[in-house]
Amino acid sequence: MEFKEYYKTLGVGQSASADEIKKAYRGLARKYHPDVSKEADASARMAEVNEAYAVLSDPEKRAAFDRLAQRRAAGQDFQPPPGWDAGFDFSEAGSPAGNDGDFSDFFNTLFSRAARAQRGQERGGGARAQVRGGDHHARISIDLADAYQGATRPLALRQAQLDESGNVVTADRVLDVQIPKGVKEGQSIRLRGQGSPGLNGGPAGDLYLEINFEPDPRYRIEDRDVTQTLPVAPWEAALGARIEVPTPSGQVEVNVPAGSNNGRKLRLKGRGIPGDAPGDLYLELELASPPANDEKARELYRTMAREFSSFNPRQQMGA
Amino acid sequence: MRRNEVDAVLIDEDTLDLHELASACAVPTTWVVERIEAGLFACCSSGAGEMRFASAHLIRARRMAITERCFDANQELAALVADLLEEVEQLRRQVRIR
Repeated sequence: MEFKEYYKTLGVGQSASADEIKKAYRGLARKYHPDVSKEADASARMAEVNEAYAVLSDPEKRAAFDRLAQRRAAGQDFQPPPGWDAGFDFSEAGSPAGNDGDFSDFFNTLFSRAARAQRGQERGGGARAQVRGGDHHARISIDLADAYQGATRPLALRQAQLDESGNVVTADRVLDVQIPKGVKEGQSIRLRGQGSPGLNGGPAGDLYLEINFEPDPRYRIEDRDVTQTLPVAPWEAALGARIEVPTPSGQVEVNVPAGSNNGRKLRLKGRGIPGDAPGDLYLELELASPPANDEKARELYRTMAREFSSFNPRQQMGA
Repeated sequence: MRRNEVDAVLIDEDTLDLHELASACAVPTTWVVERIEAGLFACCSSGAGEMRFASAHLIRARRMAITERCFDANQELAALVADLLEEVEQLRRQVRIR
């Protein structure tokens, strides 16, 4: 197990006051806030910062941590000595972010609620009250097609859990998550019993996943409505056409009305993201001109220029 | 590595009850009720008069709870931060749509 340098994580010295620790924590909490940070590893860094603060902001945990830090041999794999926390009474307050599902093996073995309960039971004996495990939260990115059809997506998790002897261990596992059809961006899904294990036979917590859509330049999404750019030839827009269009719900045949201009939107009712009230699919026309890369094509453009000599595409600009 | 398949339940308009929302945010139920009574937080009404909550409520409640804990913010300031984050999300979506 890797020993965690909590003072270094918060960027403070070992003699830092409680106020200095709080100030450092708040600065880093702003920097790595998952809703605003541009840092690539913001969520992981925020979890590290929360973990460090959960220990250093609690006088009892900090004192126990300091004693461990003094005793440990540098450069060696860390194992806590028996009775390392004797004389300390950790508070039951949770981590600053609410639960400690994302914390390290080091924290889970020494300071987590499950580990403390286990040590208390070993020392005190007797039955303890059942306690429900904590809920966990994560984000999962899916493709728009997954929202249309539903999908199974793997989700790698590292979680603290109790082994057969009741010791806290960290286990890697992969959940194949059934993404329900009709899910929207920002919506959450719940996986019952996939959070932290309960204590003394209590039920496990739940895992909540917030849905994000992978960016896709083909689509723009608002609630259940989807907008898709539809390239059309100038003669299709001018004369009208029936064209085959691949959409998130499959191939459809669309009637482009004669006299359409660039940017015109065609609505396909009910072909947005499915639901009790399904969204609509909007096809936004984008005129695609053929390249003038040979003499025949250039002659056709010259003919158009002569025939449409009175056409001014910049009329609305006052040109 | 263990691997297993699990069904996910979509959190729709009235999925979560008061206890489930509070548990998901690691706060007591009184925390939620106080903020609803203060007008900082909404809930979906139901015929039985029981408070029910949707995905958007869960995300807002978690943001407020984290802001209060991380920065010792009072509940009005935490609600303001949640308002601003929701506004930022809305503007980002609009930028992507245009």
